[in-house]
Amino acid sequence: MTLSTALKTGDLTALPSRRDEDWRWTDLRGLLRTLPPAAPAHDGKIPASPFAGLAETETLFVNGRRVADAEAASGVVALRFVALADKASQGASHSLVVKAGETLVLLESHEGRASGYVSDVLLDIAVGEGAFVERIVLVEDDAEAVNVVTAEVVLAPGARYAQTVLTGGARRQRIETRVNHPGAHAQVRLDGVYLLDGQRHADQTTVVTHAGVDGITSQLTKGMAADQARGVFQGRIVVAQGADQTDARMGHHALILSDKAEIDAKPELLIFADDVSCAHGNTIGALDENALFYAEQRGIPEVEAKAMLTEAFVGEVVDRIEHEGAREIAAAWVAHKLGGVR
Amino acid sequence: MLSINNLHARVEDKPILKGVTLDVPAGEVHAIMGPNGAGKSTLSYVLSGRGGYEVTEGSAALNGDDLLALEPNERAAKGLFLSFQYPLEIPGVPALTFIRTALNAQRRARGEDEIAAPAFLKLAKEKAAALKIDFDMLKRGLNVGFSGGEKKRMEIFQMSMLSPKFLILDETDSGLDIDALKIVSEGVNALRSPERGMLVITHYQRLLDYIKPDKVHVLAAGRIVASGGPELALQLEAEGYDRYVGVAA
Amino acid sequence: MAAVKETVDTVAALEKYEHGFTTEIDQEFAPKGLSEDIVRFISAKKEEPEWMLGWRLEAYRRWLELDEPNWAKVDFPKIDYQDSYYYAAPKTKEGPKSLDEVDPELLAVYAKLGIPLKEQEVLAGVEGAPRYAVDAVFDSVSVVTTFKKELAAVGVIFCSMSEAIREHPELVRQYLGSVVPTSDNYFACLNSAVFSDGSFVYIPPGVRCPMELSTYFRINAKDSGQFERTLIIADKGAYCSYLEGCTAPMRDENQLHAAVVELVLLDDAEIKYSTVQNWYPGDPETGKGGIYNFVTKRADCRGDRSKVSWTQVETGSAITWKYPSCVLRGEGSSGEFYSIAVTNGHQQADTGTKMIHLGANTKSRIVAKGISAGKSTSTYRGLVSAHPKAKGARNFTQCDSLLIGKTCAAHTVPYIEARNGQSVFEHEATTTRLSDDQLFYCQQRGLSQEEAVALLVNGFVKDVLQQLPMEFAVEAQKLVAISLEGSVG
Repeated sequence: MTLSTALKTGDLTALPSRRDEDWRWTDLRGLLRTLPPAAPAHDGKIPASPFAGLAETETLFVNGRRVADAEAASGVVALRFVALADKASQGASHSLVVKAGETLVLLESHEGRASGYVSDVLLDIAVGEGAFVERIVLVEDDAEAVNVVTAEVVLAPGARYAQTVLTGGARRQRIETRVNHPGAHAQVRLDGVYLLDGQRHADQTTVVTHAGVDGITSQLTKGMAADQARGVFQGRIVVAQGADQTDARMGHHALILSDKAEIDAKPELLIFADDVSCAHGNTIGALDENALFYAEQRGIPEVEAKAMLTEAFVGEVVDRIEHEGAREIAAAWVAHKLGGVR
Repeated sequence: MLSINNLHARVEDKPILKGVTLDVPAGEVHAIMGPNGAGKSTLSYVLSGRGGYEVTEGSAALNGDDLLALEPNERAAKGLFLSFQYPLEIPGVPALTFIRTALNAQRRARGEDEIAAPAFLKLAKEKAAALKIDFDMLKRGLNVGFSGGEKKRMEIFQMSMLSPKFLILDETDSGLDIDALKIVSEGVNALRSPERGMLVITHYQRLLDYIKPDKVHVLAAGRIVASGGPELALQLEAEGYDRYVGVAA
Repeated sequence: MAAVKETVDTVAALEKYEHGFTTEIDQEFAPKGLSEDIVRFISAKKEEPEWMLGWRLEAYRRWLELDEPNWAKVDFPKIDYQDSYYYAAPKTKEGPKSLDEVDPELLAVYAKLGIPLKEQEVLAGVEGAPRYAVDAVFDSVSVVTTFKKELAAVGVIFCSMSEAIREHPELVRQYLGSVVPTSDNYFACLNSAVFSDGSFVYIPPGVRCPMELSTYFRINAKDSGQFERTLIIADKGAYCSYLEGCTAPMRDENQLHAAVVELVLLDDAEIKYSTVQNWYPGDPETGKGGIYNFVTKRADCRGDRSKVSWTQVETGSAITWKYPSCVLRGEGSSGEFYSIAVTNGHQQADTGTKMIHLGANTKSRIVAKGISAGKSTSTYRGLVSAHPKAKGARNFTQCDSLLIGKTCAAHTVPYIEARNGQSVFEHEATTTRLSDDQLFYCQQRGLSQEEAVALLVNGFVKDVLQQLPMEFAVEAQKLVAISLEGSVG
C-alpha cells in the first residue's frame, strides 16, 4: 500500500487509505481519483536551491529524473527534488551509503515549482560505524500537490543520525522516516517543524526501532495549524527485546490558531525490554492568551504578537540544528513562513 | 491626563467595578489601595484592555483619547503602560527582541520612524546599566527563569525603554524583598516627571514609603469610597480596611 | 510505617488465585452453540416480551455480518463460538423471592468470596461503615439483589436486568442500546443477542443514592460464557457510586466474558463506576485457560455539567480488551478514567479509554498505570478527541508503564484529535523498569524482595487506588501484590 506502487502500476487501489491504521489521518485513496501522467523531462534552467552556496556538491532530481549525482557521501551535500511540471506525477528513489567514520551534512530540498503534481520519493540511507549524518529536509510544496517522502535509515554500531524536517504542507503530504538501529550505542535525533495555513496538510511520521543496546533517541516536533489546515504527527518508538539501556524521549507540541484547523497525534511507545527509560509528551492548544495580552500591552499588534510567539515556539526545534548555515536558513524560512501565515 | 468616569465592568456575569470615577492629572502619582477582591486588578485590566472583561457603563480616556474603543496595543501606543503583578515568561523570545519589536510597533502606530539597531542597542545598554541589569540577561528568553525581583526589574527596564506617558503599577511590591523593592522604586521614581502620570495599585502601604503618592484612594466593592493625601495610607495601615468594607455594598 | 506493615501482611497472605474454586451446583444449560434458536431459548427462559426478542434477533443477524476485531495488541486462537454454552443457571423455582429460597450452596459460594448477601450481616457491621447493596450474578442469572426495599423507598430502582425488562419496560426500551448501539462492535453485538442478565439501576432526579451499589459477577459453569448487560441511568441531579467485582474458577479452557455496560447521565448527574476485575488469568506457567474479557463500557454525559468517573483495577483475565469511554455531550460535562492494569504470566491486556469531547467546556482526565511482569503484555490504548463545537475542552492524560523482568512488554498507543482552536490537550507518558536502586534500598532496610516490589508498586499505583472506595482500595492493593507474586528474581 504505497503511492510509489500506485505510480508504478497505475493501480489506484494500491494507494493507502484511512482504513490503513498508519494512514488514518492521511488518506490518499479518497483524494486521488486518477493518477496524473508522468512528468516529462525538463530542458530549461533550474532555479537555485534554497540551500544555495552551502553545499560542496549536489544530487539533483528534476521531474523525478536524476540530472546530477553528487561525487561523494561526505562533507556537505545537497539533495534536491524539483517539480517543474504542472499536474504531472513523478517518482524518484535514491540511496546513500555513508562510510564508517565519515560525516555527512545532507541538505535535502523538495522544491515544488509547479502546481497540482503528485510526487513520491524513496530514500535509503545507510550510516556506517561511528559515522555521523545530519539531514535537513526543507519541503516547499504547492498547495495543490501530493507529496510522499519516505526514508529508510539503518545505523551501524556507534553511528549518529540527526534530522530536522521543515515543512509548510501540501494538499496531502507525508514525510516518513524509519530509523533502525540494530547496532549498539546508536544516537538519533529526529526533529520536525510544520507551519500550515489554508487547506494544507502535513503528516510527519517516524518509526524508530532500537534493536541494539545503549541507544539514544531524542525527538522534538513542533507545529502550527491555522485556517483549515491539518497537522499530523505519528511517532513510534520500538524497543526490541534485549535493547537494554535504551533512552528514548519524544515530544510533540502543536498550536491550533483557528477553530477549523485540526491536529492529530499518535505518539506511541512499544517496549519489549525492561531496562529502559522512555517518555513522550504531547500538548495541543492555542497560544497562551496571557503571553499574547502581555505582548499587546507593550504595543505589539495581535497579528505580529502571534507570529512572534509562534516563531519562538518552533524556534526551540530550529536551534537544535547543528550545521550553522542550515540553521540560519531554517530560521529565515520559519520567519518568512510566519510572515505569510495570518 | 487619565480620566475615568462612572466605570462599570463585569467578568462573565459578575459585576466587579460598580462606578469608578477618578482623575489623575499629568505629573501626579495616585495610589489605589483596597482589600482583596475590591476590583483593583480588574481596574488595571479594564484600562489596558484585557479580554474577558466587559465594560457595561462609563468611560476612560487618556489625554482625551477614549481608551475603551482601542485594542490593547493601540492603548500602549497612546502611552499606557501596565506593569504586571506577575510578568509573563516568554521562552524563545529574547528580552531585547521583544522590547525592540514593541518599541517599533508603537513608533509605527504613532507615525514615527523605527529605531535603528545600533541606536536601540546603545539606549538599551545605558538603561540596563542604570538599573544594574546584566546585559547578557537581555539576550535570554524574556523573564524565563527570573526571580520575582528580576522580573519586576525587567518591567521597569521596559518602562524606561518604551517611555510611556502613563504608568499603572499593579501590585508591584508583591513578591519583592526590601532590597528589590528599593531598586524597583528608585527606577519608578526616576520616571516621575511633570508630563507623566502614575497609578500605583497596592494592598499594602509599604510600597508608598518608597513611591510617594500625591493622592490616595480607597477602592472597596468596586467603588472609590474614600480619597485623601498620603496620610490616608498610613491610617489604612494602622486601622485596616474594615471600616470601608460594607460602605459601598 | 503503617504502609509497610500492611504490605508485609498482604504479602504474607499471598495465594496464587484464591477464587479459583469450583462449585458443584445443580445447573440448567441451554444446548451448546449459538443460533437463532438459542437466542429464542434465552429470551423465552427470561419470559421476555416480544419487543425484547425482536431486539435480540436483530442484533444476532447483525453479528453474523460482523468480523472479529483484530487491531488490539492481543493474540489468541480463533474462538469457536459454537463450542460454548450461552445460558447456564442454577436451578431454582421461578427465580428467588427472598434470600431464604436461594440454594444454600450458592450462599456458601458468596460467603467464601466474602460478599455480603444478608442485609442483617451488613447491618451488623461496624457502625458508620458504608453499606453495600449487592446484585449477585451467577453465570447467566442474577441470584439475589439486596436492599431493594430500602432503595425503593427513595425511588432508586436496583434490580437484575431480567426483572427490569419485565417491571420497567418503559425505562429499558428508552435507554437500552442508546449508549452502545447493538452493532457498535463485534462483542457488543454478540452481547446484545445473548445477554442473560446483569444489573439495572435508575436514580430519580435529585436523589443521592443512600448506599454503594454493587454487582458481583461469578462465572462457575464449565464451557460457558458470561454475557451480562448493565444499564445505569442517573436522572437530573442524581448521584450514585457503583462497584463491580468479578471472579471465576481455574479451568484449562478459555471462557468468554463479553459484557456491555451503559451509563446515561442527565443534567448535573454524577456516576462513579469502579471495577475490580479478577477473572481467572490462566495458568501462570503454561498460559493455559483463563477468561477472555472483551467488554464494552461507555458513559453518555447527555446532560450539562454531568460527571462520570471510571476507575478500574484489572488484575485478572487471560486477555483484557476494554475501553471504558465517556461521550461528553452536555456542556461543561466531565469524564475521568483511572486505571491500574497488572499483567503477569501469559496475560495480555489492551485497555484504555476514549474521551470524546462534543460539548463546550468539557473536561477529561486520564490516569493510567500499567504494570507488566512475566511473559505478559500490557497496552494502553486511548483516544482523546475534540469536536469543532467542543470549544474550551480540556484533557490531561498521564500514562505510566512499569516493567518487571526481561520477557514482558508494555505499550502506549494514544490517539489525540484536536479539531478546534480553543482546547487544550496535555499528554504525558513514561515507561520505566522497577528501579534496582529502590529495590536494594528497601531490602537494605529489611524488606524481602517480594515485599519491596509490592511496596514500590503500591507507590506507583497510589494515584489510582485513591479513587476507589476505601474497602475496594484495600482489596485492590492486595490483588495487585498477589498478581505480581514471583515476578522478580
